[in-house]
Amino acid sequence: MSSVTERRFWTVLAVGILIAVAAAYLSLTNGTFDMSVLDVFKTLLGINPRPEHNLVVFEFRLPRIVLGALVGFALGTAGSIIQGVTRNGLADPGILGINAGAGLAVVLFMFLFQGVITATGWLGVMLMPMFGIAGGLLATTAIYMFAKEKGRLDPQRLILVGIAVASGFGALTMYISLKMNPNDYEMAVVWLAGSLHNANWKFVVTMLPWLLLLPVICLRSHKLDLFQLSEDSQKSVGLHVEREKNIFLLCSIGLVSASVAVSGSIAFIGLIAPHLARQLVGLRHTRIIPVSGLVGMIMVLIGDFIGKTVFAPAELSVGIVVSIIGVPYFVYLLLRTRG
Amino acid sequence: MQLKRTLPVVILGMAPAAIVLLILASILYGAKNITAVEVWNAIVAFDPDNVDHQIIISSRLPRVVGSILIGTFLAVSGALMQGMTRNYLASPSIMGVSDGSVFAVTLCMVFLPNASPNLYITSSLIGSALGTAIVFGLAWLIPNGLSPVKLAILGSIIGTFLSGTAHAMSTYFQVSQNISFWYNARLHQMDPELIRLSIPFALIGLTLALLISRYISALSLGEEVAQGLGIRTWVIKALAILATVLLTGVSVALAGKIAFVGLIIPHIARFLSGVDYRWIIPVSGVLGGIFLAACDIVARFINYPFETPVGVVTSLIGVPFFLYLIKTRGGAHRE
Repeated sequence: MSSVTERRFWTVLAVGILIAVAAAYLSLTNGTFDMSVLDVFKTLLGINPRPEHNLVVFEFRLPRIVLGALVGFALGTAGSIIQGVTRNGLADPGILGINAGAGLAVVLFMFLFQGVITATGWLGVMLMPMFGIAGGLLATTAIYMFAKEKGRLDPQRLILVGIAVASGFGALTMYISLKMNPNDYEMAVVWLAGSLHNANWKFVVTMLPWLLLLPVICLRSHKLDLFQLSEDSQKSVGLHVEREKNIFLLCSIGLVSASVAVSGSIAFIGLIAPHLARQLVGLRHTRIIPVSGLVGMIMVLIGDFIGKTVFAPAELSVGIVVSIIGVPYFVYLLLRTRG
Repeated sequence: MQLKRTLPVVILGMAPAAIVLLILASILYGAKNITAVEVWNAIVAFDPDNVDHQIIISSRLPRVVGSILIGTFLAVSGALMQGMTRNYLASPSIMGVSDGSVFAVTLCMVFLPNASPNLYITSSLIGSALGTAIVFGLAWLIPNGLSPVKLAILGSIIGTFLSGTAHAMSTYFQVSQNISFWYNARLHQMDPELIRLSIPFALIGLTLALLISRYISALSLGEEVAQGLGIRTWVIKALAILATVLLTGVSVALAGKIAFVGLIIPHIARFLSGVDYRWIIPVSGVLGGIFLAACDIVARFINYPFETPVGVVTSLIGVPFFLYLIKTRGGAHRE
């Protein structure tokens, strides 16, 4: 019995990785600058490299793909944690306003330190996620404050408060971004829509330390299963509910905010990936979390690929592609929930 | 009780004076301050070569008139929706009406690039009808979908979808610069021609709203009460939706999406004038106009000398109010 689900888990994981690799491959070989498959391989392996090929592959396409993969993985993982902790299948970092909070803080950073620390310099790049996390925490605190009633979180109200907080932070962000000088403003606007357009290796490196949270999450992921029990049962198995909740939430805010700092706000990944993961590998969080991350990765890679090829020469940000696909799915989820 | 009777009368009586003052303030203050004497001259002896006169007649006056009208339209549609659905969160921006309108205007710009302003207004109306239809249709399909929270979630999700799709189309067909004019809800480029064109639609909407106001009062007490009084509720609901669609459609055609006016103002109007929609609707209209015109003046000065989109101001005032409503009213029905 358990070996069947076990085998299913590994199959899903293997197929998922294959799809992700295929998506990365498509993204690497297609684009406004035409390159043959052979050219790409030669460039990757360093066989008689041509400078313009090197430039396209190593400076533009590869960092974008790697960054997309990391961000997608982080968002998918964070989404499944947030859904697990809140026991709410409609929760998503974007809908809850965590993205907006992180976004506000990052724009504030760009605004306050324009000229002092260049946002694309090393110090700026490393500091931006820290600001993002402060913003994400702020948003989460606000949401908790307003959605909590008599010590418990009402799932529907959580979303509603999230929407309100998101639009408030959105308005503030817009206000601040209008005070910026034109160059920074351009950058802020492109980035706010949730885009991988500016991807570079520095952003990839910025993301890496935050991925250290993943082992922390994986090691405790079995505890998320216990959250699904009733509150009394949680206490009887000796779970420190509040402490565990805070650790999980902090980890997911860290992942989300780091993602927002490098790629802006990409909504709906954290909503959809966990659902697909649950359908694929069942209800155990030790399995849901990696699969959910993988699904998120695939979604971002494919979404970005669609955004940059279908609309060429213009680009549509991956955030918008994903939300156009995500909304019908959300409505479908609403239709299925009872009561 | 006595106060609740007299207060609406006082508000409506004072309104003309308040509006005249606002119009004056709005014309006098801005990136370039203008003296009252100039304003008087511009009206009685318009001189086309005088820059100040040009600013007053072609920019400041349409702007303040537009903002008053839009505020009125949005607030009245909000009041109608809240009364009809007995949903304290119902309002044009939350119900996807505005996004539907943006969606249709985008379609219009993409496929009929040389369309007349008339056509923009029409497509805006069709779009807001479409947005309303989708949101209400889904709310009807989803279990308990008409409850405040579900409806608000649905509306904002459908809104995201419609505006995302509109954005995708405008990127694909490369008209995004034209579209961003509608999105950003700036009042400073108000087109007098558009205002003139929108007046007939708005008049129909406002008249309808006032005519059905007493039936809305009955509906706001509950479907059974209304039916018990011999009201054919579906007729009233259909008329109320028609009025909402007309009023919101027109306002989005004029200035894009402006959030929260339609949500906040009816609550304030209800607080001031009690439970009778014959008072709530006109009071909402007057307060909405005053509110938006005042927000527009604030928007000119919070980042002086640069203009801030008025939607930023209304959101910054609206969000705390929205959170307050959720906190005090909870996620349940109004009872």
